[in-house]
Amino acid sequence: MQRYSGFGLVKHALRHHEDWQRQWRNPTPKPRYDVIIVGGGGHGLATAYYLAKEHGITNVAVVEKGWLGGGNTARNTTIVRSNYLWDESAALYEHAMKLWEGLSQDINYNVMFSQRGVLNLGHTLQDMRDIQRRVNANRLNGIDGEVLDAEGVQSLVPIMDCSKRARYPVMGASWQPRAGVARHDAVAWGYARAADALGVDLLQNTEVTGFKIRDGQIQGVHTNRGDIEAKTVGCVTAGNSSVLARMAGFNLPLESHPLQALVSEPLKPVLDTVVMSNHVHGYISQSDKGDLVIGAGIDGYNGYGQRGSYPTVEHTLQAIVEMFPIFSRVRMNRQWGGIVDTCPDACPIISKTKVKGLYFNCGWGTGGFKATPGSGHVFAASLAKGEMHPIAAPFSIDRFHSGALIDEHGAAGVAH
Amino acid sequence: MSNSVHVYDARADHATVTAESPLAYSYQRSGMPAPGEASGEESCAVIGERAFLGHLILRGGAIVLDEALREVLGIGLPGRPNSLNVDAEGQRSVQWLSPDEWLLIVPGDETFGLETRLRAQLGGAHVAIVDVSAGQTLIELTGEAAHEVLMKSTVYDVDPHAFTVGKGVTTLFAKTSVILRRPDESRWELIVRRSFADYVYRWLLDAGEEYGIGVARESRHESQ
Amino acid sequence: MFHIYCPYCEELREEEEFHPKGQAHIARPEEPDACNDEEWGDYLFFRDNPRGIHHEMWLHAVGCRKFFNITRNTVSYEILETYKMGEQPTITAEHLAREEKTAREEKTDSAQVAEGGQQTVGASDAAVASIKGAQA
Ligand SMILES: Cc1cc2nc3c(=O)[nH]c(=O)nc-3n(C[C@H](O)[C@H](O)[C@H](O)COP(=O)(O)OP(=O)(O)OC[C@H]3O[C@@H](n4cnc5c(N)ncnc54)[C@H](O)[C@@H]3O)c2cc1C
Ligand SMILES: [Zn+2]
Repeated sequence: MQRYSGFGLVKHALRHHEDWQRQWRNPTPKPRYDVIIVGGGGHGLATAYYLAKEHGITNVAVVEKGWLGGGNTARNTTIVRSNYLWDESAALYEHAMKLWEGLSQDINYNVMFSQRGVLNLGHTLQDMRDIQRRVNANRLNGIDGEVLDAEGVQSLVPIMDCSKRARYPVMGASWQPRAGVARHDAVAWGYARAADALGVDLLQNTEVTGFKIRDGQIQGVHTNRGDIEAKTVGCVTAGNSSVLARMAGFNLPLESHPLQALVSEPLKPVLDTVVMSNHVHGYISQSDKGDLVIGAGIDGYNGYGQRGSYPTVEHTLQAIVEMFPIFSRVRMNRQWGGIVDTCPDACPIISKTKVKGLYFNCGWGTGGFKATPGSGHVFAASLAKGEMHPIAAPFSIDRFHSGALIDEHGAAGVAH
Repeated sequence: MSNSVHVYDARADHATVTAESPLAYSYQRSGMPAPGEASGEESCAVIGERAFLGHLILRGGAIVLDEALREVLGIGLPGRPNSLNVDAEGQRSVQWLSPDEWLLIVPGDETFGLETRLRAQLGGAHVAIVDVSAGQTLIELTGEAAHEVLMKSTVYDVDPHAFTVGKGVTTLFAKTSVILRRPDESRWELIVRRSFADYVYRWLLDAGEEYGIGVARESRHESQ
Repeated sequence: MFHIYCPYCEELREEEEFHPKGQAHIARPEEPDACNDEEWGDYLFFRDNPRGIHHEMWLHAVGCRKFFNITRNTVSYEILETYKMGEQPTITAEHLAREEKTAREEKTDSAQVAEGGQQTVGASDAAVASIKGAQA
């Protein structure tokens, strides 16, 4: 792998940028691998990378039906935070946060991780009580967090309407300074390049159409490019996970919904943090390019169409303009949707299944981008050892039968 | 069954407090521009509250309720969804709300008597009658631009050719719910919930500004 | 954006008047106390979530306030029918698959017929075959 560096950039400039290496190979599928990862989003690519790097398992294929990172990874609004309420999820997202903090160096790729802080606004007394409780829980778990009053919020975000005249006046917020945003495409590309360099085969335009299962043990996958064998298969297919589970003969506790987002025309820098409001129901940040990045809730119906309905967009923008009257005349440039796999307790599934050797990592719904490194890291360890990593163990699919749910709806009303 | 229901006259004469319409506060806070006042020209949209009417919700089987209503009031239930029957004087109406639910509107002072007679007529039939008069109010919208004000406010097709006389629907109005109906050629009626009445009123004033909207001044206070 | 025919109002109405309420035709276990954890968990949480034909409940929330059912394609979003509570769908995945199969058989040069978005029970023919093969 050609290493990226400032010096390298100068060197390439002198050669008129004519001999940059391709970031990854385009290999032909081998008949057999040690591990197959289905789904080349951020989570799948991170899993492959950590399998190779931390566990020395390099005979790995990532099987992706489209292009790398073209699913929710490419469509998300990139909020990264770890201030979840319950111990299990706090551990998982904080594990990810620690990896984010060294990621660009680790994979030699600038993922533009920017710890500009995230505000979760409170507009009612109950919001504020929940915020107090969550920040206390976070601190007990060693996660940074502060409770701010309206004045504190106003001083961080001068352009927000924090007045008492607002329809839903801001009473305060939780503030996680270490939270922020990252560049979604760079995360997928960076992991892809680093995994490829360690020998992982990245197979694009390769769709899994079925599983080969014998005596309850996974044998491999059927794809549009032929069968590929492996005794360990990890499905990291986000919104399409139910479809894959059905191919293996079982159901998941998931529903796939459209989730939409928008970006505006580029503006001069006006917002240097991330603002989220569960109550008014919208969130916003400003990208380095200057676009406002805006999102809110899912469309309520199931949908695999990567698009949603207009009323949801309208509702989202009403919420934003409610909080930021100054943005009322900003023009929106683009709008799109992803397919998010929502779980009843708003927590992911990282789990073994009824089929031996077949694992699922899904259910991240509207908020899994922030977990990308942590999810890949613990999933790789679980695949390598055949035993779930301790941080992943509580996220077993069994919880929907045992009742040991991890109810993060409270911390994640706008779960991004 | 029916005689175990406690029915009382919510408008009893011995009440010492003057009743206020759900819009009383709005008139003070947001004012009541007279039609054409702002523009100096003739107003193309006029709103007027018809406060203190009697609103009864009827629920149950269509056949038994239809018979009882014909007997007691002389009008029957509308047969089709989204439709409205109005009596000859234009004072009493009954509207389809759902397959087992109708809204009956009568002059306020008839409410209690009507409910009592209906209950007697229905005997032990499996029905429910609820007096919701205090929970909502009726706003009339007239003028040649009336439907244009509505077009700005609701997702329902209010083109006068599509929304014909005798139609009535429950739909969205500026994000809240409204019962919208057209009792005759010249009038639209909006039935709004009490807690949203102020919001709808202010919305109408705003949406109707370009048509010189004004407020007709009848029936602001209950005549006791 | 949906334009939904409410079977009670008997007309097409805007999506905003409605709320989606999840998968239809899920029967509550007759005796919840007699369920084991697996059966009860399946009932509460596990869903078909098909990519293709789906039967779902909707509520005409700002309208007649009745629940009813929609048969809809979750990929194209096309609404194929709406029907009242207590009724059964006339269009199902199986029914469409059968139609498609007959159409395919009628064609002579049919090798390349596209699957369309109608693969609904999740499982493709190949997958079903592989599971069956595994059990055999
Ligand atoms: C609009 C929007 C905003 C969001 N905002 C945030 C946010 O601010 N913060 C946050 O943390 N999260 C956010 N999320 C959620 C986040 O995007 C996801 O949780 C995360 O990206 C999931 O990553 P993944 O790798 O698991 O899935 P994906 O990136 O979707 O990857 C799954 C891959 O599987 C492939 N696949 C599917 N079926 C098959 C098959 N049969 N064979 C082969 N390949 C297959 C797909 O093509 C896809 O590339 C948002 C999501 C959306 C849609
Ligand atoms: Zn209806």
